[in-house]
Amino acid sequence: MGKLRFLFALWMAKLSIPALKITRHNGTDFPGSLAVKLCPDFLRYVGKPKTIVAVTGTNGKTTVSNMLTDVLEAQGHRVLGNRFGSNIASGISTAFIRNCDLLGRVRKCDIAVLEVDERSSPRIYPYVKPDFVVLTNLFRDSIMRNAHPYFIADILTRSIPATSKMILNADDLIACSVSPDNPRVYFGIDRLASDVTECINLIDDVRICPRCSGKLEYAYRRYHHIGKARCSQCGFASPESDYLATGVDFAAKSMAVRENGEDHPYSLITDSIFNVYNMVTVIATLRQLGYDHAAIADSLSRTTVAETRHSEEQVGKVRLIKQMSKEKNALAGSRAFDYIAGRPGRKELLLMMNCLGDTHHWSENTCWIFDADFEFLNHESIVQIVCAGARCRDYRLRLLMAGVPEEKILCVEDEFRAAEALHFTPGDDVYILYGTDSLALAYRVYDHMKELALQRSENKEVEA
Amino acid sequence: MRVEVLFPEICNLSGDGMNIRYLHQCCPELEIVETGLKDRPAFLDGPVDLIYLGSATEKGLELMVEALAPHREALVERIEQGQLMLVTGNALDALGNYVTSDDGWHLDGLGILDTHAEYHMMDRHNSFFLGKFEGMDIVGFKSLFGHTHAAVAEEPLFAVEKGVGRCPGAMVEGFRHNNLLVTYLTGPLLVLNPPFTKWLLRQMGAPDTLAFEAAAMDNYQKRVAEFREPGRDYMY
Repeated sequence: MGKLRFLFALWMAKLSIPALKITRHNGTDFPGSLAVKLCPDFLRYVGKPKTIVAVTGTNGKTTVSNMLTDVLEAQGHRVLGNRFGSNIASGISTAFIRNCDLLGRVRKCDIAVLEVDERSSPRIYPYVKPDFVVLTNLFRDSIMRNAHPYFIADILTRSIPATSKMILNADDLIACSVSPDNPRVYFGIDRLASDVTECINLIDDVRICPRCSGKLEYAYRRYHHIGKARCSQCGFASPESDYLATGVDFAAKSMAVRENGEDHPYSLITDSIFNVYNMVTVIATLRQLGYDHAAIADSLSRTTVAETRHSEEQVGKVRLIKQMSKEKNALAGSRAFDYIAGRPGRKELLLMMNCLGDTHHWSENTCWIFDADFEFLNHESIVQIVCAGARCRDYRLRLLMAGVPEEKILCVEDEFRAAEALHFTPGDDVYILYGTDSLALAYRVYDHMKELALQRSENKEVEA
Repeated sequence: MRVEVLFPEICNLSGDGMNIRYLHQCCPELEIVETGLKDRPAFLDGPVDLIYLGSATEKGLELMVEALAPHREALVERIEQGQLMLVTGNALDALGNYVTSDDGWHLDGLGILDTHAEYHMMDRHNSFFLGKFEGMDIVGFKSLFGHTHAAVAEEPLFAVEKGVGRCPGAMVEGFRHNNLLVTYLTGPLLVLNPPFTKWLLRQMGAPDTLAFEAAAMDNYQKRVAEFREPGRDYMY
């Protein structure tokens, strides 16, 4: 009965694909959503490739999945993935539907790289049993959905099959706590010159020993709870990395990955620590899949980080920069603020990480704003901050609490008017910070900023 | 003037740490005493003008109860004597009789409040709240695994105008016993509610001037008006 139901669901889902194409809705998860509705355990029956890699975690899972897919495709694999769909059960089902025949057998693909939403694990892992589960990190995310990272760690531990090999971030003790009885390897980044020992972030979720609740001491700390810790009372300590990024040199764009005491050279394709983590995560996974360092390094050197997260261009006399800072996510905000403050040059900022979906019918839960390190924006290089959108007053208050001088802050609810309030001083870097929810609007506002930047440049030339 | 923050290493979820940061910015002369899980609470050995306890994980609630249990009687005595204490978020549940959860987790609370909570771990509750306290509008958010179910005799902290009280259907929120003020609301409460913060400062005997008062009031008034809009639903 189950198999018949599966086939019916599969055929209906397959039939929906041309229908969606005709109606120009072919990018949606509708086929998977329909299949799961008709057959709740659809994922149990659908054919799977020989090897399955699941990528999960709070941050970086899209980047890691995309990089992994790019490298594997460059190595000649046909990769089944949900790159163009969602990372919940419907998106993953859609990916399988698009890559199987009418009997549900997988076509051509020999490996799957699936980005899996952590909270959706109980609906996916009972049926899709990954050979490898890559866990990038576990941080606070949307408080409304994810509560706190220990809750997510618990969901993962309860859901991940006992046979899956874990690829874990050694520098993240919350991630390390997941599925403790599973086979595992660790990746990490060696001590950096910028590391500290005392946490400077508001969010610091591993202050006490998970075993004895004693105070943890950090040999070094990168940000938040990321670092190398040890409990002086019971001896509990961070695990050693099997794949350790070392000699990270942003200026020379190089690093090495140490494995079994031997260093293997890599070119950096990023100038952020966060993306170095993404790189070493990908390297660790590809090593587990059997690729040698030289082949991985060669493929990675031709990979880029997704354009939606960060991009910049010179427009007139300023540099315009799009910087994603996911809404309702304090950690994403903190990382983006830290990154911006640390970059050279004078900066003007437009903050519009509002949750647009909540604007009219609900009201965004603003707790995350008070967990995010707006203190990084209290920096002499940041000369103007324009707060926009429904929550602009919350941003203003939070910035004041962070010590940002009042004269630097402007509060303009309409996003387009807010863009017009930016100075566009020649030579400045002008940032727009937006979330996934405000992406489409942010792109329109950004286009307006481009017009304004050109206009202001011309006006300055006339004045001169 | 002294404020004792209990267990900041675990009671720091939902932006709750900003409650005391803001209070300190309002009244810089406050001495903030941070009491860790393995420290002896300051309220046992001398006067403190406010004790604060904020949101934590479920494991954090266990540790909170474990750390306070040896001092329960002393804490109850202080509360009966009028000790000012503010408890926000799910820290409320540590003060109740017990918490049960649909995943089998159980916590015996301190039993200071005659109430118990029921958690549904995969069905998180999210809502906004508009209520009243001594004639003031109160705004805040709830993001919880469950609700508290209290004995009728327990005095509430806030009256519900729009939103969910102690549990669905209840028209009251939180608990007030003498100067023990307990609420599920986060936001953070003191940052989002400048009139309430002024009231609290007065209770502490501190000047009731607020930091960034104009910006805080502007934000508060906007939120109160927004929450009151008829087309706006309090449930997420």
